Amino acid sequence: MPLILAVDDSPSMRKMVSFTLAGAGYQVVEAVDGQDAYEKAQTQTFDLVLTDQNMPRLDGLGLTRKLREHPNFKTTPILMLTTESSDLMKQAGRAAGATGWLVKPFDPARLLEVIKKVIK
Amino acid sequence: MTEGHQESGGGDSFDLSQFYQIFFEEAGENLDLMEQMLLNLNLETADDEELNGIFRCAHSVKGGAATFGFADVAELTHQMESLLDRLRRHELQPNPMMVDVLLESADASRVLLARHQTGDTSAPPSNADLVRRISELAAGGTPAPAAVPAPAPVVAAPAPAPVAAPAPVAAAPGARQLEIRMGPLERPDQVDGIKDLFRDIVGLGSVTEVASDRADTRVFHASTSSSNDDLLDLFAFHVSREQVNIREMSAAATSWTDRDDPPPGAPVAPAPGFGFFEGAPGVPTGAASSAAPVEVTEVRPAAKASVAKPAASPVAAQPEAATIRVAISKVDQLINLVGELVITQAMLAQNSQALDPAANQQLMAGLADLDRNTRDLQESVMSIRMIPMSIVFSRFPRMLRDLASKLGKKVEFVTQGEATELDKGLVEKITDPLTHLVRNSCDHGIEMPADRVAAGKPETGTITLSAAHQGGSIVIEVRDDGRGLSREKILNKARERGLDVSDQMSDGDVWQLIFAPGFSTAEVVTDVSGRGVGMDVVKKNIAALNGTVEIDSSEGYGMRVSVRLPLTLAIMDGMSVGVGDEVYILPLSSVVESFQVKDDAVNTVAQGSRLVKVRDEYMPVIELEKVFQVPRYDGGKSGDIMVVVEAEGSRVALLVDELLGQQQVVVKNLETNYRKVPNVSGATILGDGKVALILDTSTLVRRSRH
Repeated sequence: MPLILAVDDSPSMRKMVSFTLAGAGYQVVEAVDGQDAYEKAQTQTFDLVLTDQNMPRLDGLGLTRKLREHPNFKTTPILMLTTESSDLMKQAGRAAGATGWLVKPFDPARLLEVIKKVIK
Repeated sequence: MTEGHQESGGGDSFDLSQFYQIFFEEAGENLDLMEQMLLNLNLETADDEELNGIFRCAHSVKGGAATFGFADVAELTHQMESLLDRLRRHELQPNPMMVDVLLESADASRVLLARHQTGDTSAPPSNADLVRRISELAAGGTPAPAAVPAPAPVVAAPAPAPVAAPAPVAAAPGARQLEIRMGPLERPDQVDGIKDLFRDIVGLGSVTEVASDRADTRVFHASTSSSNDDLLDLFAFHVSREQVNIREMSAAATSWTDRDDPPPGAPVAPAPGFGFFEGAPGVPTGAASSAAPVEVTEVRPAAKASVAKPAASPVAAQPEAATIRVAISKVDQLINLVGELVITQAMLAQNSQALDPAANQQLMAGLADLDRNTRDLQESVMSIRMIPMSIVFSRFPRMLRDLASKLGKKVEFVTQGEATELDKGLVEKITDPLTHLVRNSCDHGIEMPADRVAAGKPETGTITLSAAHQGGSIVIEVRDDGRGLSREKILNKARERGLDVSDQMSDGDVWQLIFAPGFSTAEVVTDVSGRGVGMDVVKKNIAALNGTVEIDSSEGYGMRVSVRLPLTLAIMDGMSVGVGDEVYILPLSSVVESFQVKDDAVNTVAQGSRLVKVRDEYMPVIELEKVFQVPRYDGGKSGDIMVVVEAEGSRVALLVDELLGQQQVVVKNLETNYRKVPNVSGATILGDGKVALILDTSTLVRRSRH
């Protein structure tokens, strides 16, 4: 069963994401911010990382950068969930090593559609 | 991944409403946090951390509101976010006006959220003026104060008023004439709100809809001086950026601002609102990048990664408040069950007293263990309901800030002992009385700055709110360094009102006078502290919680009001008394003394009322036997024990047969199980399984007055 790391500092967004994913048969580990996610990534590998951008302690870009330095996460898909879809943001995401982005607000169907594309 | 996942979880039928509750709570917390941070914000020295924190609060609420479909909340918080974004980027210097507007917006967001939460479908309050002020501040301007003092109720706002003027409207200087195409849209009506945006946001310009060549696309002509980016941001709540095309009508018809968008009319795939970076790690093979390929020159050399530092030791993991949310009903159920357990345990303990300790040694040891464990369990369960006083205290800084500026006073607010915990039920009930006391301090206690300086005091007054545990109770104090109570004024006022007072009264007794109904010494009745309906209500509310209020004051130096409350309402220290075969419980906090009465100490006066003389003081006698019509089977020997109880400042002597002892009792509500019974505040189950009524001393005292 594919294992997904869902990172968001908002409990309701986290719940919605993990509920959606669990309902679709994925296994989900939640993290409350980038730092928490990074710590969880030390002991576990994931098939996909879904991360919010704006979070306390460590933001989505920072998390992506740190994960890409970790041998286990060289090729893991990392999707950024962001409200900012500006080119600047996309460039920053790309530079950090993200796989792609998904604009918030999104609905559960959209989320699953994207995930299906990156998880084999 | 196996086939068929999507069917099980996704789809349009996915019900987001199951997350509403958690979102409402989260949004509320975010708004509270934001308010707190705004109030603590030092405008000159605001650092990135603070500004980012405040921004994040608005950002989170906006994100959630947009996701869960609360467009009005999302729109308002979006405006707040824009202003905060410029602040955190140091493009603007924070000023008090911004703090005011943001605080107001947070309030307005709460109102909107509450409407969604309660399913209120009446006309929503208009936040147009607020939105205008935020956006003007965000644009670096100084907005005119609120157009209307009170949030004017929307008087049947004509739904999306069709803009009368034909496009393009007479262009304002610098305004551009734009054609805005939105589509393809799943539901064309999803962009109805665009017209409202132009109507609500002053200075945005004007818009009018024109005929579209496609059913799933809507076309608007707008006259505005806003940038495309700003417009796209505004539209983002109705339609995703990718579905919007903006072009200047004066420019060549083909110069589309979104360079990678196909020209209108060309068949386009629905914009997905997501994309992958070509060549990035983890990109699915063959997944067409649905976004413009982004040129990125910086490529991380592989070598750099391999020199990765040894998994940067995660900083001593900041402890997160690991909490879970549980419905209060579950906690109450747990408390109830533990209450039952305590009773069963007490019954076992009582029954076991009849057993021979030597022959039943093991059983007795087990029962002793059970006793200890039950008590521990009870304490732990009770502590679940305990919440810190900071929950109550946190509402005061804002209130005082508003109040002080309204009154033209300078007040500093200090809190102590915010971590002190109190039963949730009590916290809810103590909030109003405390609010009243704090308001009083600010309104009547603290003097105007000039008066303070004249009196040799610092210009800024101080109001201190403190909480501390003392034995089995919690003591909450409201202190101020204002003018204090005036003995003269209170006595004069009392005489005016025909109260029986004398100049020889002790200070303590004089201060108690302000608890009399309708008593106010304020020379000017302000709209803040009302018209003297207050202190009596405060006292009554606190008494209803088995609490007491004390006042200490020194004229010219300030006053202190101490509220003493039991830690919880679920357990009470009681004194059990026997009348006939019945057992009644008196709240220990109201028992003053008890004594055996001699016949000649009781006098019968008019209408059969009886008085007892205790140390030169006469007090009414209440015979519980008569109040509750306790039957006598043993020939009618009446009791001769008096228990003096005090409530609402008066004392009465209750005549009972015997004193049975003191014990902790688990309070059971009578109303939920039966109905309200006069003179009884609740019931409890005794160790032997019998039910005993808990007496309501305040109604008994009141009864004696008639």
